[in-house]
Amino acid sequence: MQNTIASSLMGKTRAVASFTSNTLADVFSKETHRFTITGLSRSGKSMLFTSLITLLKSRSEEGLACLPLLRYLPPSRVLDMHIEPIEGYKPFPHLKNIAALEAGDWPEATEEAYGFKLVVRLKQTASIKRHLMPHSDVVFEFIDYPGEWITDIPMLNKTYAHWSDSAWAQLSSGPQQYYAHAWKQVVNEFDFEQTPTPQLIQQLVTHYRDYLVQAKANGISLLQPGSFLLESSDFNWQEFGFTPLPSSITSDVSHPWYRAFEKHYSAFQKDWLTPLKHSIFKETDKQIILVDLFEGLNHSRQHLYQLKETLSHLADTFVYGQSGWFSRTVLRKQQIGKVAFVATKSDLIPENQQQNLLSLLTQVTEGARARFNDKPIQFEHFLVSAMQVTDEGANKDAIRYTNNDGQYVESTFEPLPKTLKEMEEGSHFPVPSVNVPADFKARILAGKGIDRLLQFLLGKGE
Amino acid sequence: MSGKSSENPPSRPEYKTKVTTQTLNIAQPETKLPKQITEDVWELETASTGVSLGSATLGLGVLSILGFFVFDAYTTLTASMAQHPVGTSVLGAMLAGFVGCFSFLSFREWRGYKQVNTAMHDAKQLRDMLANKGANLSPSKVSSILNKHGKRFSKDSYAAHCFERYSQQRQSDMTSAELLGLYEDTVLTPVQEKAQKVLNKESVTAGSLAFISPNNLIQTLAVVWISFRTIRRMAKVYGLRPGTAGNWKLLKVLAQNIAAQGIFDLATDEVANQIGGSLSAKFMENSAEAIAAGALNARLGRALIKLLK
Repeated sequence: MQNTIASSLMGKTRAVASFTSNTLADVFSKETHRFTITGLSRSGKSMLFTSLITLLKSRSEEGLACLPLLRYLPPSRVLDMHIEPIEGYKPFPHLKNIAALEAGDWPEATEEAYGFKLVVRLKQTASIKRHLMPHSDVVFEFIDYPGEWITDIPMLNKTYAHWSDSAWAQLSSGPQQYYAHAWKQVVNEFDFEQTPTPQLIQQLVTHYRDYLVQAKANGISLLQPGSFLLESSDFNWQEFGFTPLPSSITSDVSHPWYRAFEKHYSAFQKDWLTPLKHSIFKETDKQIILVDLFEGLNHSRQHLYQLKETLSHLADTFVYGQSGWFSRTVLRKQQIGKVAFVATKSDLIPENQQQNLLSLLTQVTEGARARFNDKPIQFEHFLVSAMQVTDEGANKDAIRYTNNDGQYVESTFEPLPKTLKEMEEGSHFPVPSVNVPADFKARILAGKGIDRLLQFLLGKGE
Repeated sequence: MSGKSSENPPSRPEYKTKVTTQTLNIAQPETKLPKQITEDVWELETASTGVSLGSATLGLGVLSILGFFVFDAYTTLTASMAQHPVGTSVLGAMLAGFVGCFSFLSFREWRGYKQVNTAMHDAKQLRDMLANKGANLSPSKVSSILNKHGKRFSKDSYAAHCFERYSQQRQSDMTSAELLGLYEDTVLTPVQEKAQKVLNKESVTAGSLAFISPNNLIQTLAVVWISFRTIRRMAKVYGLRPGTAGNWKLLKVLAQNIAAQGIFDLATDEVANQIGGSLSAKFMENSAEAIAAGALNARLGRALIKLLK
């Protein structure tokens, strides 16, 4: 009996000692960077993650010369690299995405949150440290989640009546008015004297969702609730759905439809948005905000203005501020210190017009950046192509690519506007529909800007 | 609340396209995977067949030393040089061969400095550009300067090997600062490290030669030779072609090296005289001279690195 107690005590002591030594070793030899990649749906988050893993793996495992500007992780210092899951998140489907690319399909849009850790083991170069700790680990934690969720976070700060009025005003103006007509007609013809039964609520929500789907397909970025767009959403919108209502109803707090939707809206905030914000958007170290300017350029100037407005709301959802050494190392608590605004798919325009694209990106993010004015935050703008799908054209204004019909075509661009104001009213730049190239791996490795982006986020301001 | 009159839907605007597309009758070119970052397998000297001139010189030098010992013993035994004219002739011939080969070797090594002036000018220009991160220079200008610099590297040099790596990783959208950063990472820093390694090795050799040298003449000759060899080998790392005309700055460094060596010889001789002619004193003198020769060779190399980096 005494032996059993003694051995149990010994075991516990050993466990505590081992835990302490591991934790201590982690403190000194591990460097963790948590990346949250934020972006509206279709901004290329999943493809960026897929490229990032492929690039880092090819660089460290196959020794291929890529990411030349990533000076933070020199190839001569990388010993190995592996992927680990993050507790509470599904593993990122990297292999599935690669298989999709091999089959000629683009990776499927993200419909749920994924997380993974990329652990890069580095050789120690400092003379004394080299003997004490022969290597150090740089851990990248990546969280990928549906872009539709991000547009919903600002709803946390609004009451149902407030949200309904602003959503109603939004769908009556701007480019979305062209797609909201059917929905508004349904509302106009709907008898709100009826008791809000689950069937009637579902009927109304289905019509509203039809509008959201159609507007999304036509490049509208400011759509709430975005979670209703996802079939596999964890929030049961069929049962607890709601829609914006005319102000004649929302101004009457005793109206049965107002009360019903107000109740569902509260459930949406409490059971869905609050846990979402705490689990994903709180603990982050570096933030990458992806912006697909082509959605705007593809449609109209109004779409670009709307994108600017959406980004401005989006910046509201994060806690900014650089954490100190103590909270970072001892408390393991990190806050956003660096923010990168990234325009993706930059290879879809000729190289000589990329400066204009960067200038446009800078203007589109003005509203979001205004939130950083009084915060100790570093930010930068980047153009990134996760895969170089286009080739140089016959002249500087042209690019070549294989389109969805399998034809190799050349598109010649008129000059891209430098500012929103310069975008000619009634004109657009149709986004090239590009096939997945057969040499996709080589084209991922030829992608541009990811090394520059990582160096900014990881580097110490050099 | 129901049965409101239906509105006419707003007409969707027709957008004027700013992009024109035409089909091409060619297939999309295939993008190749980037090359692998190979390990640093570059060797300073490529394997050569037969006996090299350097080996012959060293061999003759060793033979001369041995010859002097044999000759010394021989004269002690016979006590008459006139009685042994053949031995004297052979040793004289060997020594003459050594001095002749050495002179030629030194001349050839000296010619290897020809490009140093250009290299030093390039190095200064790069240092200035790196200091201000290519400010005021367009990426194409920086790229052209770097290309010009890289093209000067001799074909089989380590610098040329590094420059190839740089060329593979250069991308068209890089800024001036990024191009310079990439050049620093892929060419300047690795070349610097390699030069340091070569210098360390040469300094050890210089020390060893000084240690085994039986007298001051041979020691000075050995130090001169190893100094020349150090410069040649390091120049090869930096991509300078050996066998061409030299530069006065390097000669000055070399002269300082040899002069300092001479002063050190005098000092150690004096210490040795004080201790006496014992074997231990001789050992101590040689050790001190070996350390001094190694240190001075390192100084020579560092001066060279400073000029070329």
